[in-house]
Amino acid sequence: MLKVQHYSISKKLTLMNLLVSAAALLLACAGFCAYDLYSLRTAVIGNVSMQAQIIGDNTVSALLFNDPHSAEKTLSALRANPNLMYAQIYTYDGQPFAGYWRDRAGETRALPMIPAGQTQSHWFRDGHLGLARSIIFQGKAMGTVYIRSDLRAMNDRFKSYALIIAIVFLASLMVALLISRIFERRISKPVKELAETVRIVSREKDYSIRAAATGSQDELATLVDAFNEMLEQIQGHEVALRQAHDELEERVQERTRQLAAANQELEIRNHEVERATRMKSRFLASMSHELRTPLNAIVGFSDLLAEQTPGQLNDKQQRFVSHIKQGSAHLLQLINDILDLSKIEAGQLEFRCEDFQVKDALPEVLSTIRPLAMAKSIQIEQKLGTDHQVHADRVRFKQVLYNLLSNAVKFTPKAGRIDIDCREDGNFVAISVTDTGIGIRAEDQAVIFEEFRQVEGPAEAAQEGTGLGLAISKRLVERQGGRISLESEFGKGSRFTFTLPVGSTASQTPLISGPTILPVAAGGGRGKPLILIVDDEIAARELLATYLSPEYQIVMAESGAEAVVKAQQLRPDAITLDVLMPDSTGFETLVALRKTPDTASIPIIIVSIVDQKQVGFALGAADYLIKPIRKSALLETIRKHVAPQSDDDETILLVDDDPRTLELLEETLRSAGYETESVRSGARALEVLSSKQVSAVLLDLLMPGMDGFEVIRHVRQEPTLKELPIFVMTAKSLTGDELAVLNRETQALFHKNGSWHPQLIVEVGRVFQGRKLARSAAQS
Amino acid sequence: MAVVMAWVLVGVPCLRAQSSKPTDYDVKAVYLFNFGRFVEWPANGTAAKNDSFAICVLGQDPFGPALDATLAGETIDGKSVVAKRISTPEESGDCRIVFMSSAEDARMNKIIAALNKEAVLTVSDIPQFSQHGGMIQFVLEGKKVRFEVNLTAVQHAGLTLSSELLKVATTVRRNSSGD
Repeated sequence: MLKVQHYSISKKLTLMNLLVSAAALLLACAGFCAYDLYSLRTAVIGNVSMQAQIIGDNTVSALLFNDPHSAEKTLSALRANPNLMYAQIYTYDGQPFAGYWRDRAGETRALPMIPAGQTQSHWFRDGHLGLARSIIFQGKAMGTVYIRSDLRAMNDRFKSYALIIAIVFLASLMVALLISRIFERRISKPVKELAETVRIVSREKDYSIRAAATGSQDELATLVDAFNEMLEQIQGHEVALRQAHDELEERVQERTRQLAAANQELEIRNHEVERATRMKSRFLASMSHELRTPLNAIVGFSDLLAEQTPGQLNDKQQRFVSHIKQGSAHLLQLINDILDLSKIEAGQLEFRCEDFQVKDALPEVLSTIRPLAMAKSIQIEQKLGTDHQVHADRVRFKQVLYNLLSNAVKFTPKAGRIDIDCREDGNFVAISVTDTGIGIRAEDQAVIFEEFRQVEGPAEAAQEGTGLGLAISKRLVERQGGRISLESEFGKGSRFTFTLPVGSTASQTPLISGPTILPVAAGGGRGKPLILIVDDEIAARELLATYLSPEYQIVMAESGAEAVVKAQQLRPDAITLDVLMPDSTGFETLVALRKTPDTASIPIIIVSIVDQKQVGFALGAADYLIKPIRKSALLETIRKHVAPQSDDDETILLVDDDPRTLELLEETLRSAGYETESVRSGARALEVLSSKQVSAVLLDLLMPGMDGFEVIRHVRQEPTLKELPIFVMTAKSLTGDELAVLNRETQALFHKNGSWHPQLIVEVGRVFQGRKLARSAAQS
Repeated sequence: MAVVMAWVLVGVPCLRAQSSKPTDYDVKAVYLFNFGRFVEWPANGTAAKNDSFAICVLGQDPFGPALDATLAGETIDGKSVVAKRISTPEESGDCRIVFMSSAEDARMNKIIAALNKEAVLTVSDIPQFSQHGGMIQFVLEGKKVRFEVNLTAVQHAGLTLSSELLKVATTVRRNSSGD
């Protein structure tokens, strides 16, 4: 019964019918039984009452004439009725008069009470009926007769009645069950069939199946009809859906075919584009080589002429040479810019992004810009906040900054002012260059970043620019995830701002530029020795740099540790060292530099506010200057310790397939006091190297036959030539891999796209001086 | 009446008002009255025309006050029962029951013959009364008063006797005398 909700509908119906029938039958049977009991009792009472009356009537005379014997004779007639257990006649005043006992072993009982006003009373007690009746004779009560009858007959009768009722009950129940079965089948069978149909439909997804009609007109028939109608609709929908699906599939196939065709076409186009790109790359590569090589010769020879190395020039000749120099320098710049732009457009420019601090990259740019600014008495102010870290390609960052600063210098009148400031703006660092120049008209501001756009300005400024600097800067910044913008008021000045992503302050790696990639010192004098300025205060560094920059090449370090690293890498000709620095004192740095073999021979000049000359000299300082220092004193001291370029007869092997470049290099190096030998192929170079002692190799990369990389590989395989200094000079645009090889295997890389002479002299001089110092150190 | 009934029905004369036991005649007085209840008289008889139901004592009255006391206030068939004392059978014209005193022993047959012509129930305690044509004769069974019935005499007189009465009679005689 607990799980009646899990029964099948037919079981439930049967159960319901059975319960209903059983309940009805039980009620009916109970009613019958009650009625039977009642009527049986009434009959028994009537029977006994009648007997009592007869007995009473027949014993009146016995009572009147005091004849108990006669009464007993009358009573003995009761024996005919076996149910009568006992009878007693009482006199009027309640005395027992005569009695009868069925079992002859009776006792006389007290006269039962008959309620006043009644002639008879009866009671059922202990399975028998007791009945007392007054004996009335001629309207007068003469006595009482009391009869007790057992109920065996009645009970027997009742039992047989109950049996009959039970049989009737069971039979009725069976019949009800039978009938309910018949009816239940008529109800549950269609339901079961419907359920089965539903299951099949839902399992097979076959909506063409229909539920069978029940043949009757009841709700089940309605249900079946409704279900069939629903199936009809679903089938209709399904057919429509399938049609739609088929159509869709057809359309998809059609589209797929079209797409495939388009793809094929695209692939062809792609091939074409790829080919075009390859061609463009090849064009760019050859452009950079073919254009620069002759221009290199022009620039170089005009330099030599201007320096009057081959002989004295008169004023007119000098002026003409100067025009050639300016024109060719401009042309070289233009070519470089165009190639840069093309590379950016072609997506061939590689960015090597790293985290570095803005204030570390700035001095290298400033050292180039400052001479230009000083020429026009323009003051450059930097307002750099603390530690602005950017994530960018350091070289490209400097290029952008250089472009903006050189622009600012160009367009700012004499005695103007340029501000550099830097602030953090969300996830970006914004660097602004503000000048007090001529400003840019509002209508020009929109196009200022387009290629070959120049705003009207001073004639000389227009001449100097290529019109590509801002366009390149914009692309460089945007490729690194930043933006460049301009605010300007015509006549008052301009403010260029570019943003770059903030770098993580955690990765504050010391700034080590590649050992051979040196800052380009445009406009620097030739053969300038390298000075490392070590000071934690930027102002002090800048001051020293300004004093020294006309005569010397400058590298700066702001801490002792950085100084040691840079000194090892760059082997400067001298070091100026501040003693009071936060992380390690100047003296510690001094000791560290002295202990390191690579740097032990470099003269170190202490420039400090503290006067501890004894200590300084004791630790090996070459000289000791006390702040504030005069420019003349500083220069005098440096000159004392930095030897002029050596005139040693060191031979340098020049390898280039272009005779003009060879001649230019020969001239340049010989004028600096070096012996040279020239060969025009890699194979020849290897021959010379195997037969002759050579101090260094200056190598071109792009050569017919064996190219520069192959030469380097061969040289480095030779055990005796492992340490041979190799300088590379090329017009080739280098890939990252090539650059890595060159960084590893060579001492310096010069690019023909710039003014490489001064650098060349410095680098060669440094290598030779280092070797000389090492030799002398080894001798002592 | 209640008092009379009480001791009659108990069967043992026991008058609560009296200290002595009921005498035989006390019982016989009650019986006389009771006989009247079990007998039917012919509707056209002389006695039936009377307003009262007369129970007569012929000769010397042996009951004393007992009979009058017994019958006082009683009715049979709606007629009040009265006791009458007569000295000759000729006076029994409106009597229903005639009790013949034992003092009349000598002229019993003569009286019976005279009374049997009338629809009168004759009762007596004279021995051999029922054998000589008397209808009901008191007899003593031990100390208990019983009676004998001469049914033939009763039927001759046109009276109907209830079978109930016969049940309690010690002897019922049929055709035993009269001839």
